[in-house]
Amino acid sequence: MATSALPRAAEAFVAKDFKSELKPIWCPGCGDFGVVQAIYRALAAIGRPPHEIAFVSGIGCSSRIPGYTTAYGFNTVHGRALPIAQGIKLASPELLVLVAGGDGDGFSIGGGHVAHAVRRNIDLTYIIMDNQIYGLTKGQLSPTSPRGLRTASSTYGSMEDPVNPLLYVLGYGARFVAQGTPADMGQLSKLIEEGIRFPGFAFINVQSPCVTYGEPETQLKAQKQRMETLESLGHDPSDRIKAMELAQHYGEKLHTGVFYRDPAPPPPYSHYVAERQGELRDDTLTREHILDVFLPRE
Amino acid sequence: MTSELTIGMAGSGGDGIVSAGDSLMTALALAGYHAMLTKSFGPQIRGGESSFRLRVSTRPVLSPGGTLDVAVALNWDDFLKFGGELPLDGHSVVIYDENTGVAPDKIPVTGVKPAEVVMVGIEAMAKNTVGSEKAKNTIVLGLMAGWFGLAPENIRAGLRKRFAKKGEEIVARNERAFEAGLAWAREHPLRHARTLGPAPEGASTKLVTDGNDLCAAGAIYAGCEFFGGYPITPSSEIMHFLNREIWKYGGTMLQCEDEIAGIGACVGASFAGKKALTATSGPGMSLKTEMLGLATIAELPLVVVNVQRGGPSTGIPTKSEQSDLFQAAFSAHGDAVRPVLAPINVADTFPITVEAFNIAEKYQTPVIILSDQEISQRKEAIDRPDTSSLRVERRRVPNQQELEHYVRFRITESGVSPISHPGMKGGNYLASGIEHTESGAPTASGLVHSKMNDKRLRKLGPLKSRADLFLTEGPAHASLALVAWGSISGLALEALQLSHRAGLDVKLLVPRLLYPVAEEVYREFFASVKRGLVVEQSHQGQLYRVIRMFVDMPAGVESFARSGSNPISPVELVERLRSQARELLANREPVSQAE
Repeated sequence: MATSALPRAAEAFVAKDFKSELKPIWCPGCGDFGVVQAIYRALAAIGRPPHEIAFVSGIGCSSRIPGYTTAYGFNTVHGRALPIAQGIKLASPELLVLVAGGDGDGFSIGGGHVAHAVRRNIDLTYIIMDNQIYGLTKGQLSPTSPRGLRTASSTYGSMEDPVNPLLYVLGYGARFVAQGTPADMGQLSKLIEEGIRFPGFAFINVQSPCVTYGEPETQLKAQKQRMETLESLGHDPSDRIKAMELAQHYGEKLHTGVFYRDPAPPPPYSHYVAERQGELRDDTLTREHILDVFLPRE
Repeated sequence: MTSELTIGMAGSGGDGIVSAGDSLMTALALAGYHAMLTKSFGPQIRGGESSFRLRVSTRPVLSPGGTLDVAVALNWDDFLKFGGELPLDGHSVVIYDENTGVAPDKIPVTGVKPAEVVMVGIEAMAKNTVGSEKAKNTIVLGLMAGWFGLAPENIRAGLRKRFAKKGEEIVARNERAFEAGLAWAREHPLRHARTLGPAPEGASTKLVTDGNDLCAAGAIYAGCEFFGGYPITPSSEIMHFLNREIWKYGGTMLQCEDEIAGIGACVGASFAGKKALTATSGPGMSLKTEMLGLATIAELPLVVVNVQRGGPSTGIPTKSEQSDLFQAAFSAHGDAVRPVLAPINVADTFPITVEAFNIAEKYQTPVIILSDQEISQRKEAIDRPDTSSLRVERRRVPNQQELEHYVRFRITESGVSPISHPGMKGGNYLASGIEHTESGAPTASGLVHSKMNDKRLRKLGPLKSRADLFLTEGPAHASLALVAWGSISGLALEALQLSHRAGLDVKLLVPRLLYPVAEEVYREFFASVKRGLVVEQSHQGQLYRVIRMFVDMPAGVESFARSGSNPISPVELVERLRSQARELLANREPVSQAE
């Protein structure tokens, strides 16, 4: 039976209970302001107190986000939020663990970890703030930048195809895959809430524009024109193949909503850990006993 | 009767060399002997040549020993491949298989004339008694038991146990092979007979273990609840052991996708309040370095074992070296100091691992244990570690009052501030690799940065006076000195004993704490010293140079450093000390009296 570390008794929380006193370093108008708001709302809806939440990030503008919440935050090193978050969840399975970062953090320097987080299916919610650019380092190509993009590091245009984050995680077997945008705050906070409630690894790609280095067509105003909800297309989120078909359009179209949600998710990793500990744990063992394994046996 | 024997055996992969070594080791440990077993292999994954050397003694064994008392060659090609590791001299007994077609006066050993060369039809005997050459190694066990008195009863019992699963037929065959070897030895006594004397009266059964397994056991003893890591030679056995045992103690482990994720998961587990361990070797250390810096600035306890092998890069994965000290001490960017500990032998991996966890927890810092391939993979029969003097520390968590206005990185006199973890109400804070204020808020203030660096470094100050993390032997006022660390310290201890017998005025210092450099301990040690050697298995003499960064070593103390995979013998150390003593006399420098 699939379980998630989710609300015991929902206490009454409101969004601002999750807002810290730190003032964000983000540029005025940055999409990440919307993302953090959506997270506050989602956490209030979930109802776990801040001290039972661990919020882990990598490095980048968006990775500052844990500090703007009242949860236990960990702003780690570039690209390594996922391994650290997995260690936290395995060590303390009762915690609600959120992971966030940018497209560069997740799909470039940290790209090697994503596949393993997906297949291990540890109960985490991974939120990517995808802006197709490196903002903190002042405007270089990112792994999701479109071919031909001219940036500080591609003066004559990018010669590479971008990573498709949605297909990437679907390809590795992710069981909850969604895309949202701060252009639709109601939907975004719902998607995050749903991701948190999902038992197992949940992935949410957020089109969060960079107001300083981003292209005009990625800004919220343009997004509002372009976006199409999957719901309006009549997409059935239990259809994984269809989800992959729709995900092909990443970069051309802006589909938002749940691409795929496993209708019968298997138990997440921590379930098996508890099972193994239950089988093997021996409370009669004191630490001294560990030396007995070295007694020579004929 | 002799109180100790050093036995070497070599053959090809299918000859069961390693299992013969293990059988002997188990039998001797049960009988209460001390022993040290080192195995050596060719570079092949399977098959190829393999060898062991076993030193057994009625007293604790300090090093794998020098030349062999007994050498067994199942074939000469394989034996000769281990030339330097299985050296012979004029007192060695050489036993080899007749099937090699070599006459006893023509054995391909140059430069020495062994005391006795015995040709035995080992393969023929195996075929005659059990109809299979597979029993060659069991024949050899019989010969060893017969000629050298190596616990025949225990070997018999061991064979029965080992083959029990394979059925009565196989058990009976191996028993026949063993008895055949034993009988042959009794019918053909050696001209230079030597029998191992009995283990001391009341000697307890020894524990049989190696430095990797015992290190992992030390972690469990210390209360480690999480292991994250990635397979790498020669440290993987630490992961293997914890994968078998940690669940029983309520912990968990994760084989990660790479070295970075391995340490990352541990950093996460530690943030969550659990004691965590990762283990690796040089290449993995290189990858983990950024994460070590994160643990330093976020002030998270963490223990990292580096089982050193030959480097740089892939280097020589299967051979020991002590060339990662610079890396352990200095590889972080920024002003980071992390404690570096090194076990001196297999037995020491247990207390040193417990100590590493204690230091990590007490000072909220990553701690590196520099083990080495030699310690990690050689098996020893040792006395059960004395745990009565071991304490297990836990990190200082905030109390209720401190949680009311919790300040995670509060600047305190000791530099240590109480650390909360998720789940602890009121302890919420932001941990980060970014420089931060006392409350954890990111900052670029030079003033705060300087204060925080000072806090992080100040925490480790008390380590510098931990004289208990040093082993000293010999007269306190000696004018000659040996300094050694890690697996090399066993050789140095042996050299010390030999030099005392030779009338040399020598003392020995073995640091188990390598970094930060305990300046006072070294200064006190070097006060009487005029000449000496810092002995280590690295090309540059890394310990010698690290000590000199902080301590004015006497000019007559030299570096005795050699790249890994090149043996250092106690005898050559004594020779070098002897010539240093002669220099002292020639220069009429006062030589203090041995006490």
